[in-house]
Amino acid sequence: MHRIIDFVAKYKEYFTFFALIVISLSLISMGNVTRIGGFRTVVIGGMGWFQNIFSFIPNPVALKSENQALRELNLQLSSEVTRMRQALLENKNLRQMLELKKTLDKPYVISEVTGRTTMEMRNYLTLDKGYNQGIEDGMPVRTDAGLVGVVIGASGNHSLVEVIRNRDVKVSAKVQRSGYPGLIVWEGGEEFVMKDMPKSYDVKVGDIIVSSDFSNKYPPGIPLGQVVKAIEEKGELFLKVLVRPLVNFSTIEQAFVLKYLPNPEVNQLIKEMDEKLKLRKSPPQREDKINLPEEKKNKEHKKK
Amino acid sequence: MRIEVQDTKSRKETIRYISYAIVLLLMSVAHLTLMDFISVGGITPDLLIILSVWISLKEGQFKGVVAGFTAGLFFDIISLDVIGTNALSKTLVGFISGYFYKEGASDSIIGSYRFLLIVLGCAFVHNLIYFFFYLKPSEISFFMFFIKYGVAQTLYTTVFAIFGLLVKIPRK
Repeated sequence: MHRIIDFVAKYKEYFTFFALIVISLSLISMGNVTRIGGFRTVVIGGMGWFQNIFSFIPNPVALKSENQALRELNLQLSSEVTRMRQALLENKNLRQMLELKKTLDKPYVISEVTGRTTMEMRNYLTLDKGYNQGIEDGMPVRTDAGLVGVVIGASGNHSLVEVIRNRDVKVSAKVQRSGYPGLIVWEGGEEFVMKDMPKSYDVKVGDIIVSSDFSNKYPPGIPLGQVVKAIEEKGELFLKVLVRPLVNFSTIEQAFVLKYLPNPEVNQLIKEMDEKLKLRKSPPQREDKINLPEEKKNKEHKKK
Repeated sequence: MRIEVQDTKSRKETIRYISYAIVLLLMSVAHLTLMDFISVGGITPDLLIILSVWISLKEGQFKGVVAGFTAGLFFDIISLDVIGTNALSKTLVGFISGYFYKEGASDSIIGSYRFLLIVLGCAFVHNLIYFFFYLKPSEISFFMFFIKYGVAQTLYTTVFAIFGLLVKIPRK
């Protein structure tokens, strides 16, 4: 026994070391010791109190890293804000479109604007829907705000829209309040001009202009714009009515293609009439040239 | 007469142990509250390693082992770490540094570059053991983490041990 005690005393460092290592490993294996939870709470409180006392001391390294982190956070947040604003606008637009969907009596195809083209005062939009989705040439296109234009060409999954802000386009329109008709044309600039409006017509600033029943190309009642100025020029019989379009053509993202096709019989008639009028208006030189061989023949015949 | 000498000796020892306990308490509190001010990239020196080496070199291996274990366990409790990790690693520190104990020559060892070398070696082993248990529950690569944080902390602790050396450096 004495020997054992001597042995342990001689190597007490090793025994102690071994015992403490075993205790430490046992404590590690126990993991979370809940019994000291209360003590730790006191310690945390104490540490917090101490840290509060020394909180006035600035820490340059921590400040630098905090500054950097805040800058990064600021960047993230500003991009987030931009995205949120975009989403808000998109949400607003979609809600307006949903409201419009309820009021549309004609079948339609919702499409996204995938491209914009401007060529010599002619504006076109490219839509992501084509004849695979039932789109055909001549179908009118509108947004919740008003008339956009008409489909002039369609492929399988794309279609081209001729925007009414186009120097070749004329839309038969009327003043919504009074019902007086006129012709909407675009002569460049921000506003449309409503023509063929005699001075006696009742037109006021703020009046809404809509497509009229006389139009064969567009269904009636689609908003076109709002009267911003009605000019009475001296010596002129007609008013010059300036109409600001309700649709912002440069920011259109979605549009409805109305499955409405003009009456083909009426169209055919208009075409024929146009051709006849063209023939009447064609320059006399041309007719001369056409008649030239016959005159030659007559002259030759007379000579014979 | 002999009893009086023994009494004085034991009283001195008791005062020494109490002073060690106070230093341990202060260092632990300082470690938790003030080290943030001198942290570099999240790395702080481990003052308790320096204290364990100091006690071991002053009092011998046996007391060094006990001191390391006590300091580590105390720190485990107050630092919300897994109980036993610091106790284990600091027990090892006390044990290793105890090999450099020489009776009557402790001040000369602490007051020389050897103290820094002992702290360097002990801190290295300490961090090796500590980070092994620290990273065990996670999927972080031990080698990369140890190279990045373990070695850096070892060096930072050694640099801080210079203050301990300066206390005991012989004055001319």
